[in-house]
Amino acid sequence: MSKRRMFFKMITASLLRRRSRMLIALLSIAVGATILAGLVTVYVDVPRQMAASFRSYGANMLLMPGETADLDRQSTDAALSVISEEKLLGATPYRYIYTEFMGNQTGEGKYSTQLKFMTAGTAFDEVQKTSPYFAVEGRYPEAQREALVGKNVANTIGVKLGGNVRIAYDRVKTVNVGETQTELQGSAPGYYDAEVSVTVILDPDGTIKAVAMDLSRQTPFRVAGMTTDSFTDTYGVTHAESFTDQFKGKQLPLILSQSENDPDDYIDAVSGATASSKAVVDAVNAAAEVGVNTDTQQITDTERVTMSFTVVGLLETGGEEEDYIYISQRDMEDLTGEKDRFDVVELSVSGSSEELSAYAGEISDKAGIEARLVKRVTKSEASVLGKLQGLVFLVTLVVLVLTMISVSTTMTAVVSERRKEIGLRKALGASDNSIRVEFLGEGLFLGLLGGVIGAVLGYVFALVVSREVFGSDLQFNILLVPATIIVSMLVSALSCLIPVKRAVAIDPALVLKGE
Amino acid sequence: MSLLEIKNVSKIYGELKALDDVSLSVEKGEWVAIMGPSGSGKSTMMNIIGCMDKPSKGQVLLDGVDISKESGKKLTEIRRDKIGLIFQQFHMVSYLTAVENVMVSQYYHSMPDEKEALEALDRVGLKQRARHLPSQLSGGEQQRVCVARALINHPELILADEPTGNLDEANENIVLDLFKQLHREGTTLIVVTHDPEVGEAAQRMIVLEHGRVAKEVVNQNFEA
Ligand SMILES: Nc1ncnc2c1ncn2[C@@H]1O[C@H](COP(=O)(O)OP(=O)(O)O)[C@@H](O)[C@H]1O
Ligand SMILES: [Mg+2]
Repeated sequence: MSKRRMFFKMITASLLRRRSRMLIALLSIAVGATILAGLVTVYVDVPRQMAASFRSYGANMLLMPGETADLDRQSTDAALSVISEEKLLGATPYRYIYTEFMGNQTGEGKYSTQLKFMTAGTAFDEVQKTSPYFAVEGRYPEAQREALVGKNVANTIGVKLGGNVRIAYDRVKTVNVGETQTELQGSAPGYYDAEVSVTVILDPDGTIKAVAMDLSRQTPFRVAGMTTDSFTDTYGVTHAESFTDQFKGKQLPLILSQSENDPDDYIDAVSGATASSKAVVDAVNAAAEVGVNTDTQQITDTERVTMSFTVVGLLETGGEEEDYIYISQRDMEDLTGEKDRFDVVELSVSGSSEELSAYAGEISDKAGIEARLVKRVTKSEASVLGKLQGLVFLVTLVVLVLTMISVSTTMTAVVSERRKEIGLRKALGASDNSIRVEFLGEGLFLGLLGGVIGAVLGYVFALVVSREVFGSDLQFNILLVPATIIVSMLVSALSCLIPVKRAVAIDPALVLKGE
Repeated sequence: MSLLEIKNVSKIYGELKALDDVSLSVEKGEWVAIMGPSGSGKSTMMNIIGCMDKPSKGQVLLDGVDISKESGKKLTEIRRDKIGLIFQQFHMVSYLTAVENVMVSQYYHSMPDEKEALEALDRVGLKQRARHLPSQLSGGEQQRVCVARALINHPELILADEPTGNLDEANENIVLDLFKQLHREGTTLIVVTHDPEVGEAAQRMIVLEHGRVAKEVVNQNFEA
């Protein structure tokens, strides 16, 4: 038999065959290791648990329109792609509009004074993820034209579950006034081939708005009749408008009247200025586009849309949400005529405040929208976490010290109980070192057994704590098993230092003393 | 050269002289009994010879080495290598079996060897009880285990302090027979006893009184 085997035989026999005393030491180590393993398991898992718990207090990140991008489907998707899938617990878009209460479906119950409420369009399946604290009496809307009504709103308008609300929204439309005018210029030869040039202004629909003539190269007395408010045409008919007034409202090209029976929309030439008149018509027909006058003006106009909803849920949150009416995104689209436009997207993201900040920065960079942390939630999460971890650390320290005292006391008792045996071993030739190694060996063995027991019971303990406190299961960290065993062996060995010192000091001569 | 030579050794506890200028020598292979009334200094002498205590004065030469000058560590080595101890109270490790108790001595000396330990138990007639714990053995059997343990490392000197003090006559005779065997094999034996019968089994008796050698008797009837 090897020396090492004999060594293990001796220390295991000491523990297994002299149970009573060692059992106490084992018990204190096992209890210490159990509490330790349990606390550390909880400690390691607490950030995850806390994050999950805090998520029930609502969103911890908000997406808002940024400097370079609006908040719409596209920018939201870009923002969400930044956050890894398993970290994103929920993303709820909200579109908020002011709506006027119009009574119930038949219009009854409308107040004489205007009563306005904020109406939010959202995705209800996501709402339940980012706002788990929403207390809904009834249910969330599922079909179109169903609404979740805040309690305050319901009280104010006196609507009950199953009732109706009619709301009106004034769509704001922007209208362009002043027209887009196209300017054309052209020229044609007149008297003696002298040039006539024109500027033509077209309306957006292509009809002529105005024509300006440059007749400076024509013989002035000949063209005098072309610029007067009324003129006489070549057939002797007097027109109550000027020559160019005939052009207004007509489409290009223009046709010059050749006989008295020609249709009315033909251009009649001015008596005595037929060549110049023809030149003007030719110039207008030959005119080419030189530019578009875009000097237009926008004005806003409203269009009222009224919609009736069945109240399927009443919302109680204790917060401002009770002042809102919630409808589906589809209904919001119908009401506003706008698709995929959001005012805010609430996110619930699991992660430390550092991680969240990193996400927020990346979102602004990539999606161009603003991502804000809900400080109230992330801050208190961090501070509660810090306090809890500090507490666990302190308790762990106390448990360690208590375990050490207990084991040390037990081992000291064991040493005095075994004075004779130690003396005998020394008389048989054991060196001080052998005695040290044997006792530390027993201590380490105790620590090993206690650590194994502690790791198992500690996990159970942590599981119970986790279920009771956080109401969720624990993530088992396999590394904690060797860690618990090593720590309990260390603690046990440390606790044995003083008893071992006493053991070494025992005088072998005492075995010869009779008693 | 004598195996053990004690020269003018005194052990003084305050006013009390447990040993007072004692001189004696023991030859290799000799069987000596140390006798005397209680408090005469027998155990004190045993402790000094057994390298577990040092004299206040004088010299103790064991196999030519002056053990009165050695350090504690060195004394442990000498005790381990040269001396086999047998005690009145048997002193076994309570949670180890008979054979394991013998092996403890081997463990500190050199190498545990179960076969050899079993042979030693066989020699003291306890082969059948080798796997028993001390609590399952009678006093005589326990003392025989201690004898087996004392001789397992082939010590040059066996020191026995009242080896038969707690034994009945039958077991006393078994132990004495074992001593006789050991003596025949050339082992040096120093046996402390106040039992005249045990003392007379030795070659030579040294009687202590008040820490001094009162008389020395050579046993004329000694039969090897
Ligand atoms: N450690 C000690 N301190 C003080 N006195 C001691 C000590 N050891 C022995 N004595 C005393 O020395 C004397 C001799 O003791 P001891 O050798 O044990 O005698 P014996 O073994 O012959 O009965 C006794 O009076 C005893 O009280
Ligand atoms: Mg004595």
